[in-house]
Amino acid sequence: MTKLDVDERWDLIDKISKKTVTFGEYKHTLKDAIGELTVKPLTGIPIAIAVLYGFWSFFSSFAGFFTDGFFVKLFDEHWLLWLQEIFPGKESWLYYIFVGDPSATNCFEAFGVLTSGFFVAIGVVLPAIVAFYLILTLLEDSGYLPRLAVLIDTILHRIGLHGYAIVPTILSLGCNVPAVAATRVLETRKERFIMMTILAIFIPCGAQLGIMKEVIPDTMGFVIFYLFMGYLIFGFILNKIIPGKTPEMLIDVPPYQMPTAQNVGRKLWMRTSSFFKVALPFVLLGCVIVNVLYLTGFIAWMGDILSPLFIGWFGVPSETAGPLIAAFLRKDLAVAQLSAIEMTRYQMISAVVLVSIYFPCVATFAMMLREGWKELLGSIAVLAMVVTLYGGLLHLIWILLGVA
Amino acid sequence: MKILLMGHPNVGKSVLFNRLTGANVIESNYPGTTIDYTKGYMRVGGEEVEVIDVPGTFSLDPKDKAEEVAVKMLHESRDATVICVIDASKIERGLYLVLEIVEEGYSVAIALNMWDVAEDKNIKIDVVNLERILGVPVVSTTAISGEGIKELVSRSRGTAPVEVDDIFERVED
Amino acid sequence: MKRLSSIYFGILGVVTLAFGIADLLVTIGGSGLSFGILEIPCDAFRGGWGGLIILSAGLFYLAGIKNISEIHQLSKVMMGSILIWIVAGLDIFAMITESIPGGDRSWFNTLEGFLETYAPPYTPAIFLLPFSLVVFYYILKKERNILKKEEDEE
Repeated sequence: MTKLDVDERWDLIDKISKKTVTFGEYKHTLKDAIGELTVKPLTGIPIAIAVLYGFWSFFSSFAGFFTDGFFVKLFDEHWLLWLQEIFPGKESWLYYIFVGDPSATNCFEAFGVLTSGFFVAIGVVLPAIVAFYLILTLLEDSGYLPRLAVLIDTILHRIGLHGYAIVPTILSLGCNVPAVAATRVLETRKERFIMMTILAIFIPCGAQLGIMKEVIPDTMGFVIFYLFMGYLIFGFILNKIIPGKTPEMLIDVPPYQMPTAQNVGRKLWMRTSSFFKVALPFVLLGCVIVNVLYLTGFIAWMGDILSPLFIGWFGVPSETAGPLIAAFLRKDLAVAQLSAIEMTRYQMISAVVLVSIYFPCVATFAMMLREGWKELLGSIAVLAMVVTLYGGLLHLIWILLGVA
Repeated sequence: MKILLMGHPNVGKSVLFNRLTGANVIESNYPGTTIDYTKGYMRVGGEEVEVIDVPGTFSLDPKDKAEEVAVKMLHESRDATVICVIDASKIERGLYLVLEIVEEGYSVAIALNMWDVAEDKNIKIDVVNLERILGVPVVSTTAISGEGIKELVSRSRGTAPVEVDDIFERVED
Repeated sequence: MKRLSSIYFGILGVVTLAFGIADLLVTIGGSGLSFGILEIPCDAFRGGWGGLIILSAGLFYLAGIKNISEIHQLSKVMMGSILIWIVAGLDIFAMITESIPGGDRSWFNTLEGFLETYAPPYTPAIFLLPFSLVVFYYILKKERNILKKEEDEE
């Protein structure tokens, strides 16, 4: 077999295309001109803001419609009351695990498998995930996502990633698991490591966003801002200290297309169902484990041991130990659990931030392990440092503001 | 029989794959959606054909993990027929990968995909002549709407390896 | 027609810009503003970010009116309209999602309550919506003119 070198190959292609391809006169269409506007910084940034605005506005209206409009009522006024009535043995441990606190008046406080578990998974997370994936799919299929990557390239380059990193980051807002897999398109190990680590730490997933909207609607903006700053700051630091290169990557910008209803529907269904196959068992299992740990006194014991760290360093109540254990299984569950703990507005913000940046959930953890145990260990080391520093920093901010 | 779908990122390999096998792999309008390979089956004239959706790659000289998967896949399937999926509006870049694969001695068929986009851009390709020069089946397709898929499947059976030297000769005619 | 559309989108641009600034000022001022059928919300999200987008829409219009028939200029006008559609569309979507559930009393809203949600006052973006749609008319008309010209030439 004859093998060609690179130049010979291009020569041949040149000859072939001269014989077979004619490039007709190409007129700029309105679609092209609009496409250009979306990638030039001056015009592209306001457009990106509008797209993100639309994203969030749709997300909150859609999720609010189902969760606040119907599910809260269904779960609190019917499901919870019914279970409390028919489930035998109010004092038994079985009741505690499955229904939870007998005096609870809503499904956040009860924290039983059948009450909070189902409420969190179906009542809060399901609408949020559907809303999120619907918009994500539209952004993907229309071709806006890679343009956002081009636009954001300059900013992300400062933290050692090229613009394409925005794709795993946005995927991560749905669920960290596919996002970790998506880092494979990055070229060097360094980039992959940075990306994987900072998204596992700082990017809240769709389930978490959904529940935050329920529990801390007023202060959520601050939490997200704080996490986003962490993403940039620690990305920047990691880029400085980790050896390796972050090469330029040329992004191919695909043409804008009208998304087809069929493809959008199918992708939405696939993603939502695969998310639930992972999420639902973990939410329910998480409830069981946390309740058992409460019953055995383990969480109270942990709280006592960790209280100097919690109260002194992070400035949150020691009861937060429970949610932090739950956070390893499911972050949404942990945030739901936080809502039942008595604390100030600022402590709540700290606690939600801590739950978010502390340890990735089990599913993400497993995915990172698949990508390489060395990377995972490295990520955990970074994580421990970040939680201590960044959690403490927030407490410091509260002290300086005089609210802690 | 085994068919490998190869081509640049975001030329519609996954769309084609879903069309061929009735499978449901995620397809999106941005490069790098497929990061691992997926196998599927289709029936052609009573015969079961294995189809593999390979992650996109620019050349056979891998630059990231997804491309590594693609090249490894190709080298592990010596007996496979390769359907090269090319973005018809960027045909030259696509042909580079085609030549690399042809040089390694694979049986190749070419899907000139995104035909509609090329038409929009007023690019005209002489498919018959291209097919004559390359000596492999060339079919124009628009995978999203399903145009040309049937022809692609029937033409890709019975394709045979070609010599690059012959291509050199034919291009001069 | 070129002149007329430049003037039209110029005025629309100025009004849009003014609405955007009003949105921002009201949000910074800290209390909502309502006169007649116009209501400017004062939350950081709809008033602040939304206002910023309306303001950008105004700027897009104003940047595009000079030599409007040129495709790149027209795309700016089109983009101004698209930004308004995003904000207004989602304001309307928010209304729809609010109008259906019944709140504390019942599962679904009463017919009266349902219709009440759609009564004025409206946000600035919704007021701008019908005026921004004119861009379609302009594009259609322009395409028809081009076709006509080509036919004439033939």
